[in-house]
Amino acid sequence: MSDDRTRILSLLAAGKISADEAERLLDALETQKSAGAASGASAIKGDPEPLITALPKYLYVKVAAVNGDNVDVKIPIALVRSGLKLTSLIPPQAMDQISASMAQHGMSVDFTNLKPADIDELITNLREMEVNVDSQNGDKVRVFCA
Amino acid sequence: MSLPPAIVNLSVATQTGRHVRLWLPIFLLWPLVLILGLIGLAFAVVADAVLALLGRRFHHCTLVLIRALAALGAARGTAINVSTQTSAVAVTVE
Repeated sequence: MSDDRTRILSLLAAGKISADEAERLLDALETQKSAGAASGASAIKGDPEPLITALPKYLYVKVAAVNGDNVDVKIPIALVRSGLKLTSLIPPQAMDQISASMAQHGMSVDFTNLKPADIDELITNLREMEVNVDSQNGDKVRVFCA
Repeated sequence: MSLPPAIVNLSVATQTGRHVRLWLPIFLLWPLVLILGLIGLAFAVVADAVLALLGRRFHHCTLVLIRALAALGAARGTAINVSTQTSAVAVTVE
């Protein structure tokens, strides 16, 4: 096994990259290897960190029901970011009402404390988020960023 | 800020074999949005100035308008596909 492949698999095992990212990296590795097999050089030149830490571009929501119903939603992360930034500008009076209403429904999220720096951090960390729900009847829900 | 969406594709297919595809050139609305945006911006600036002079805590109408337009631009790339046993609907914003 090559050093590059070992590094990618180590990052996957350590949870630093998702399975999708590992697959993309391995694909890129194979492509570069096939292109430059004669040279014998390492397929990934330099530090792969920028590639690994690249921000996700889309938020995916996939729902697959047993009865054949499927929902597949792709939302640009830029839209999520814009939405969050808009949220931070909601007038205080309206925000109080929203917070009270959300608390009534069991979601006590205080958006008034959402700062632009928090939004950036949230977006950055979205790349590590993956939600998988498998219900008893076989319905599947998957939320992830890529 | 990216350009606002230019085209919306809407596709509806049913079990009966009907397949409707709509290609909506919303870039034709850009001039209208630009005019409305500029008018709204002028109102928002005045409203913010008045609110600030009155000492209100919230005087960010201009920022809200700008960010709303930015959100509109960020919608490019959105794709929604819903399929059931009898029909399928797909919407893409490009």
